[in-house]
Amino acid sequence: MTTDNNSPFNPLPVRRLLERAPRHLFFTGKGGVGKTSLASATALALAESGKRTLLISTDPASNLDEVLGLELTREARAVPGADRLFALNIDPEAAAAAYREKVVGPMRGLLPETALREMEEQLSGACTMEIAAFDEFTAFLGGDGPGDYDHIVFDTAPTGHTLRLMALSQAWTTFFNENTSGNSCLGPLAGLGKQRSLYAEAVEVLKDSEKTRVVLVSRAQRAALKEARRTWRELGDLGVSNQCLALNGWFAPVHADDPVSRHWAERQSRAVDGESGFLHSLPLYRAPLLPSNLIGLDVLRAFFQDPEHAAGTAFADGTDDSAPALPGIDELADRLAPQGRGVILTMGKGGVGKTTVAAALGLALAERGANVRLSTTDPAAHLADAFGDTKGGLEIERIDPKAETEAYVGEVLAQQPADMDPDSRALLEEDLRSPCTEEIAVFRAFARTVARGADSIVVLDTAPTGHTLLLLDATQSYHRELGRQSRTTKHSEAIEKLLPRLRDPGFTRVLLVTLPEATPVHEAAALQDDLRRAEIEPHAWIINQSMAEVGTREPVLAARGRAEIRYIHEVLDTHAAGPVYSIPWSTVEPVGTEGLKALSQNERKELAR
Amino acid sequence: MKTIQIYDPPMCCSTGVCGPQVDPVLPLFAGMLSQIGGCGVTIERHNLAQQPAAFAKNPEVRAILEKEGTESLPLIFIDGQLELKGRYPQPAERSAWVGRARDGEQVKVAD
Repeated sequence: MTTDNNSPFNPLPVRRLLERAPRHLFFTGKGGVGKTSLASATALALAESGKRTLLISTDPASNLDEVLGLELTREARAVPGADRLFALNIDPEAAAAAYREKVVGPMRGLLPETALREMEEQLSGACTMEIAAFDEFTAFLGGDGPGDYDHIVFDTAPTGHTLRLMALSQAWTTFFNENTSGNSCLGPLAGLGKQRSLYAEAVEVLKDSEKTRVVLVSRAQRAALKEARRTWRELGDLGVSNQCLALNGWFAPVHADDPVSRHWAERQSRAVDGESGFLHSLPLYRAPLLPSNLIGLDVLRAFFQDPEHAAGTAFADGTDDSAPALPGIDELADRLAPQGRGVILTMGKGGVGKTTVAAALGLALAERGANVRLSTTDPAAHLADAFGDTKGGLEIERIDPKAETEAYVGEVLAQQPADMDPDSRALLEEDLRSPCTEEIAVFRAFARTVARGADSIVVLDTAPTGHTLLLLDATQSYHRELGRQSRTTKHSEAIEKLLPRLRDPGFTRVLLVTLPEATPVHEAAALQDDLRRAEIEPHAWIINQSMAEVGTREPVLAARGRAEIRYIHEVLDTHAAGPVYSIPWSTVEPVGTEGLKALSQNERKELAR
Repeated sequence: MKTIQIYDPPMCCSTGVCGPQVDPVLPLFAGMLSQIGGCGVTIERHNLAQQPAAFAKNPEVRAILEKEGTESLPLIFIDGQLELKGRYPQPAERSAWVGRARDGEQVKVAD
């Protein structure tokens, strides 16, 4: 019986997450909901209650460094100023690099340079990164993991990524059990074969409610709650039973008559009412909306012990400057619509509103007479939600990883000779069940969609940052691979031209989307660096959901607005090489054509007042 | 036929499904291997991206790699003799190899 405080309007304070905490705690949720803050505050509180605690980030776009003020590596490091607290970051790229070196390193001097280069290329793909990161991740879930920790707190990757990791762990366990031929596709995992039992053990640990609790972190917002519900169900289907929900950023208005305050509160109630069934299905916790993100141990500590007080003390932050006046995305649409072709990619950390921005911009372009195709590779696609019932005359396409994989598998099987012997077919089908297949299938869909920009404007709302980078990296290594494989295999034109297309500033325009907050801005800047390494220069920055441009008397919201100004300046002065556009926080929910139009129209500032 | 050794180019998997497009020869070849494996032939399969040590250990393989680069892969040895270089067997060769494996099986008494 769990009748204690399960009403959505009376959730438990977040510090009660510590009660009966199992050894493993996973914090997961849509990007930007505050997973890192909650995971770090929980880990710190566990450590200060006398438990030896390890905090692990598996997010390719982790900002744990910033939160703890400590540069994290893949080896656990003691957090200065916090006894018994250790932290590490499993960065898929770093994990892959370490694995690559393990394989290639001993061969230096033994094999010719060209062979070494090819090996490195082959081990630079998306599969290797996923697998290498997963391999490190599972090592901590095994019975005798390193370090003798009482608790391990995982600040996990964005939900789609997390789900894939978990699904992978199950798929592989099944795969190992079924695969008896020993010469089939274990991909880069072949070198890690000795640890197979660890993967099976990891799956069992995740399912064991005595050992593992998953904390779904969400804002009281429609899309975030829907995502949390989706994760809850999918994890439940995978057998993960110990789950709870932490509602972060809970808003308690002071000035109920202030229009912005009223809209914020109404939006929150609507979101909660709409998910009441879900909210009654699992234990609930809440943490208040704060004027700024939690950075530093003192703030983390205060947040856990006395959240309302922590919120109050942070009001002093900010500046008296007024927000710089920035053009809206209607002006961007004016400039891009006459081009009539090309690809627009909205990129940024998960949760910054890439989907909404893509949809609003797509709609604005269509209104200006452009032929627009709106497409999403976000595994947690919210595009259909963004439009509500109407589609506003756009062509909308979703790149669904599952459907793409099925189509790819069907296509591969159809290419085989009709008289293929049963053994060959069985082996091929076995390989097609491997986790790499999905990466390839999604990559192909991405290439195909980009190719459509030749005769219309394609607006692509890409997946969260880490995934996007992996995709781009995959396209690069395939591009390099063309030279080698073209002797035996013909590649589609879409794939051959992909990278040149992405690098052509007259064809592809990358819009870096960020919120005017510390972490999203810094992560967008890091993403910009990565894009530049891939020889792709962002076209513009878009500052989304800016409260700074909106007048409100509500203290916490006004303080958030003031806190934003320095980050808007930072984008303008330090990061953006091209134009910067902004989308003010809107009192109209960005759903459906009317809601989306409000984001791009000039009168939007009046709407907010 | 007692043994077959294959030195594959760097690949993600033995059927090649992890590349942007599948080489249809690879699954057929893998199928043939499972057939001759069923006849008691010892199969050693090495992928440059996964088992590079096997390449470094074999002086003949190393010499070919030094001279001709990775274009020379795959290298396929039957009973220690280099049988194919730079390509996988064609349908006629595959049937012939399966035949040789079956002949070997008849000669060999159960061990």
